[in-house]
Amino acid sequence: MSAQKDCEFLVKKARELVSVDSCAAKAWLITARTLYPTDFNIQYEMYTIERNAERTAPAGRLLYDMFINFPDQPIVWREIGVITAALRSDSQDKHAQFLRGLFETLPGRVQCEMLLKATEQCFNTLEKAEMLLLLLKRFPESVVQHGLSLGETLLDAEASENVDTPVNCFRKLFVCDVLPLIINNMDIRLPASLMQKYILKAAEFYIGYVTRGPSADGQLQGSQDSGNLKSPSMSRGSQRYVIDGLSEKSSLVADPWERLLELLAVVGVRCEWQGDKGQRSFVDMLQRMKELCRYLPGLDGETRSRYCSQVVICGALTLFRSAFLYVSAVQPALFQGHGASSGPWILVEDLSSVYSDVDLDKGPVKHAQKKRKQADGREKTMSSDDEEGLGKGRGRHILVSKTEMPNWSETLEGFRAARESWDLLHSHDALEAEFKKICASWKTDSWLWFRIFLTDMIVFQGQYRKALSSLHQMSAVQQHQPGQQSPSGQGSLEHHRVLIQQASCHYALGEYRVHTHLFHLTITSLLPAVTSGLPQYSAFRKGLKIYWIMCKCRAFMFLIVSRQLRAFADNRDDLSLGHVVVLLQYDWPQGEMLFLKSVDKIYHQGSFQYENFFNYVTNIDMLEEFAYLRTPEGGRIQLELLPNQGMLIKHHTVTRGITKGVKEDFRLAMERQVSRCGENLLSVLHRFCINEKIIIIQSLP
Amino acid sequence: MGDIRQSLLPRDVLSAAKELLYHLDIYICNLVQSGRQPPQVDSKTLDLIEEFILHAPKDRNAPARRMSALQELQLLEIMCSCFQEQSRDTVRQLMFSALFGLQGNAADESRMALLGKLVSMAVAMGRVPILECAATWLQRTHRVYCVRLAQVLVDDYCSMVPGSVPTLQNIHSASPRFCCQFITAVTTLYDLTTEELTPPIELLQMIVSWIQEDPRLVLITFLNTPLTGSQPINSLDVTPLGGLVRWCVKAPLAYKTDKKQTPTHERSENVPEVGPLFSTLHLSVLQVLMLLPNILNEKGLFGRMGLLQLDSLAALTSELSRLLDQADKHAHASDAHAAPQLALDRLAQALQVAKANGALLCSRGRNLEAVLFLFRPSRLGKVESKIKTVKMRKMLVKHASKLYPHFCIISVFSRINYFDFHSSNNVLLIHKLLEHCKQLVFLLLLNKSVC
Repeated sequence: MSAQKDCEFLVKKARELVSVDSCAAKAWLITARTLYPTDFNIQYEMYTIERNAERTAPAGRLLYDMFINFPDQPIVWREIGVITAALRSDSQDKHAQFLRGLFETLPGRVQCEMLLKATEQCFNTLEKAEMLLLLLKRFPESVVQHGLSLGETLLDAEASENVDTPVNCFRKLFVCDVLPLIINNMDIRLPASLMQKYILKAAEFYIGYVTRGPSADGQLQGSQDSGNLKSPSMSRGSQRYVIDGLSEKSSLVADPWERLLELLAVVGVRCEWQGDKGQRSFVDMLQRMKELCRYLPGLDGETRSRYCSQVVICGALTLFRSAFLYVSAVQPALFQGHGASSGPWILVEDLSSVYSDVDLDKGPVKHAQKKRKQADGREKTMSSDDEEGLGKGRGRHILVSKTEMPNWSETLEGFRAARESWDLLHSHDALEAEFKKICASWKTDSWLWFRIFLTDMIVFQGQYRKALSSLHQMSAVQQHQPGQQSPSGQGSLEHHRVLIQQASCHYALGEYRVHTHLFHLTITSLLPAVTSGLPQYSAFRKGLKIYWIMCKCRAFMFLIVSRQLRAFADNRDDLSLGHVVVLLQYDWPQGEMLFLKSVDKIYHQGSFQYENFFNYVTNIDMLEEFAYLRTPEGGRIQLELLPNQGMLIKHHTVTRGITKGVKEDFRLAMERQVSRCGENLLSVLHRFCINEKIIIIQSLP
Repeated sequence: MGDIRQSLLPRDVLSAAKELLYHLDIYICNLVQSGRQPPQVDSKTLDLIEEFILHAPKDRNAPARRMSALQELQLLEIMCSCFQEQSRDTVRQLMFSALFGLQGNAADESRMALLGKLVSMAVAMGRVPILECAATWLQRTHRVYCVRLAQVLVDDYCSMVPGSVPTLQNIHSASPRFCCQFITAVTTLYDLTTEELTPPIELLQMIVSWIQEDPRLVLITFLNTPLTGSQPINSLDVTPLGGLVRWCVKAPLAYKTDKKQTPTHERSENVPEVGPLFSTLHLSVLQVLMLLPNILNEKGLFGRMGLLQLDSLAALTSELSRLLDQADKHAHASDAHAAPQLALDRLAQALQVAKANGALLCSRGRNLEAVLFLFRPSRLGKVESKIKTVKMRKMLVKHASKLYPHFCIISVFSRINYFDFHSSNNVLLIHKLLEHCKQLVFLLLLNKSVC
């Protein structure tokens, strides 16, 4: 057609002029448009000029014209596609911002129509959903029409795409973006069952989101950091997390628990839940559920089932939240990767009673072990939950070091609230059944973090057999956690937790043989970590990573001490005695009585041979005591504490000079030892455990 | 009011003028209140104004009273505050026209002189009421006087005192109506025929920036003019569009000759090139024209009132062909064709866009459906492809005469220089345009003399 050619000619003319004199180019195009008002290329060229110059208002007006006059042009749709992509993206580059500004200049009606049509032309479910979401957010009146169907589309997509985690792009859009729009829109009628389904979907997502492991990305960063760890803030990098299919910005969910609570409040109002007055905290909620539970037996029919679902949903959410608070404090590395700011804390039976047990000289006494403590530290301790009204675990406290665990009260509070929620959910068959359904659909069995809480709860209840099977499950879960099997990474941390708690349980059950066996395992598995940890320890005394190694070793040490003390009661050879003395340095002067007893024993034996003495004993009180033993006042005890000393004495027993030399050696060794008093006890004990592993295990019964 | 003359006579010039203004104010207030339609200031009062404010000689014998420059300045200040303080529009308007409405007598010269000073002062001091009254005055007065007032302002603000342009720039926000009328007056004044009648670059920049910022500015007077109010004969156009089109079309050729006269090295570094300014202005004009259909439809005037006058366009085309001839004579530079092309481009674009948007009315029978703009045969000699062009010409004539049998087209003024006739596209284009006769990119010059 000739008109077509004329238009092309005019467009070409304008195109030639753009760079020289854009005004002249535009003048040509205006003229051309009056000649051929129905020609698309002319308008598109006008638009292109304005768009390339990033002039928002004129470009917007032209786009509007094109949209109205040429709704079928593929080029218009390509352009709209580019713009809607910019709207969905969080890119801050200038062009994307221009495109977003361009969209804003369009009249609302056109924006709405544009988004709808763009959505229709979109074949990718995720993109389609994002587009529709843009529409719903901008035009709340469209929520009634499209909200529910969008939600269902997303849930269907999640089901059909076979995603293996609730923290996926479809669920994220559904929970964070679509759901609030739907449930806050009172024009949409929602049956209670649907709302319950939705709130559970939301809860599953948020819980999955907060309990996600550190991302692979973050781990990578973390391992790079470890080489030149300078400040705790370096580890921030590991917080980055991207949900597959989403951008980094839209993967970020702020205040997940708060948002879940908000959703819950709206659902509560809409479901006419009992006594639910909108916003309340999780703590209030637990209290409220406890009260509701009391009415439960007296109800029946629909009211009962409504009460039930209210209690189960709220109870489950308090349970998971409190358990999360607890686990994130005791096993922070699980959620924060290497950026964890404090070491793992392991709940074990309080073994300090061993000191008194030995005093009694009666072997293990189970009933005396009511007190328990967390792995280490008892400096200024004591937080009791005597007041709790539930039968199990009554009168048990958890001892924590307040100095080493600054957030101890919240941690214990989380533990308590989680236990109470658990008990609440198991207080009625109906509740338990409902709760089990939730657990089954969420596959909570595979949640390692939740297993940690459950185990600790069982240990706390003193059900050691059950705890052992729970620990067994925990290691099974660990083996199924992909990508966390590296020896220095996540996996080994939880593995140690399992071993230590297993050992503690067996010990509490009086099963020393298993205990010993586990001990062996613990030592062998801990050794690599300890050896690799030590140099770091000296290099970065205040580094974060070292801290957990230290904590771990202290836990480990503690077990050894307890084991050795046990051995001490049964087996009285000098080697064991020596080991005990070395180990008693730990937590000195906790075991002072025991030490004095040992000294007493040596005194009665009249001699004592322990060649490792000067390698591992640096405690000034102990050194003093031994030095005294040699003096006439102390009883002239024959101490063979230097390597090979016994041999020498036997050989040259007649030569006075040599004995004199030996005396001199002892004095020098003592003097040297006194200067070592300032040495870090833990590193000395580490060395002891590593070097004497075989002897220690051999000396165990 | 005539009876106060006796009391004014003994006073000194300034206090007499003051007194008269005072009485005038009261008199007009009463006049408005009396509700007589239309309120008319009587001739005696007008005489008093001429005698005591404008100091026009009453008769040849009586010596003219004169004011010193200082007294005049004081009088202007009094007038300024007088208009400023009068809250009623009608009174203010009546007073302004009593003082400055031209009477066609000897006093008009002093009237114009005083008005020029007053408006200039109002611009400087941002006296909006006076600017508004002046805008109305510019609508009602013969264009010759309007142009003189514009000249005064341009002289005061663009030529005499360097750096005072920003003051004038402000009238855009102070009184858009005045601003619009000022643009109309200025475009009428500077017709680019001589160097003196070329707008100073500062003025040009200012106008370009005004219109670029707010294209509707040029339509303000048109928008505010009631439909019933018929335009006084020989007053300014209702919009500056015609003048602006003339500027843009003639600029490439007018400034071309200008440039040759001033050696390049004398041009100061910071004086911007006029080319881009006119290009921007031309685009703005087209954009204003694009606004018209909606406005005309709202007023129910679409197709009934053209904002561009055919007569002035015909004048423009003949001016343009004169300029083109001149350009031909000087055409030795390599880009000799560029300027004529640009001029023709702009005229073509302006006419097409104006026509399409109802700013230019071409009724088929009586007047022009189109203005055929035809090259002189002499230009054809330069055409590379002679045959084609001649063929073109014949074709054009054939078609045109078929369509407009009552017009005789003297010569084909083809667009050889800027449309490449090797391209068959353009042949087709012209062919089609003529056939359909509605979409004319090409200008057909009607030479009335041969008609």
